[in-house]
Amino acid sequence: MTVLAVVFILLGLFFLVVAAIGTLRLPDVFARSHAVSLTDSLGAFCVLFGLALYQGFGINMFKILVVLALLFLLNPVIAHATLRAAYRAGVKPQAEENS
Amino acid sequence: MTNFFLVVVMVLSLLILVYLYRVIQGPTVFDRVLGLNGISTKAIILVVVIGTVYDRVDMFVDISTGYALLNLVGAFAIAKFLEQRGTP
Amino acid sequence: MTSSFPKQLLFNTLALFGVWLVLSGRYDLFHVVIGFMVACGVAWLNTGFAHSAFHQFPWVRAVLYVPWLFLRVVQSSLHLTKLILSPSLPIRPKLIFYRSHLRHQGAMVMLGNSVTLTPGTITVEVNGSHLLVHTIDEEAGEDLTSGRMEKKIAQVFQEETKDR
Repeated sequence: MTVLAVVFILLGLFFLVVAAIGTLRLPDVFARSHAVSLTDSLGAFCVLFGLALYQGFGINMFKILVVLALLFLLNPVIAHATLRAAYRAGVKPQAEENS
Repeated sequence: MTNFFLVVVMVLSLLILVYLYRVIQGPTVFDRVLGLNGISTKAIILVVVIGTVYDRVDMFVDISTGYALLNLVGAFAIAKFLEQRGTP
Repeated sequence: MTSSFPKQLLFNTLALFGVWLVLSGRYDLFHVVIGFMVACGVAWLNTGFAHSAFHQFPWVRAVLYVPWLFLRVVQSSLHLTKLILSPSLPIRPKLIFYRSHLRHQGAMVMLGNSVTLTPGTITVEVNGSHLLVHTIDEEAGEDLTSGRMEKKIAQVFQEETKDR
């Protein structure tokens, strides 16, 4: 169990580092938000799931899973609110439009 | 095992520094808001890892839950304000 | 199928009591009874409003939808990781107008949230049944533009979309 937890945490740290590199490299707000979304989804999932596995079966595991579910529900809403504000305030993305 | 978790804490802190660069440097306000969102996600993970180090996860998880909810309210307030003001 | 008031009250009470049981972590008689009373009170205060989108929400099938979404999230995360780590940064960002045929309001919420949760696609603006989606790549947006994600969500909301 502990070995599996360590593997999950290291994998999550890898994704978190990739997301940080993405926030540095990508060109504009809209593209950077994809990198932050990568952090929220897979990186946080792997790290927190590894910690839950390390705790073993019990109340602590369920509590960490509650935090995980909360992150999965709330973070898309935050990203969408920020990007909608950016779009309405007139920040144009470097993108081609089609309808 | 404690050493491993301390290394995890250090890596997360360095990642927070990277996002802090984005907050300070970001060309528009929304880059800064996005960087703050990333920092708060890291902080939530960091609190849970610190709780694992101190072996008091049941208490620290409650703190991180409150942090996640406060982050939602704060991000909404900033987004609504900037949306109404209308300038980047 | 608008469920009756006592059924909703029972459902809300059980959901809130479950949250209490997970978050409190103490299982002696005093805390459990206090938690049940508080859950009953809060559920009674919050039940009986007329047209909420969550009255007809198919929770069971929505939970069954989650593993498929998670698989897609992992696949597109790996794709985005490859994009970020490749030295030439081969991104082609694009804004897509997408018109969905979902009627149920909860289904639209679920579609927008799923699109945003998947790395590589983000909902920028929602207007009625029109979504404005920012995709970072052709391949990342392929799941939405081919209509696969909408078909899955229509399966979740099967009865409700047929009824109206």
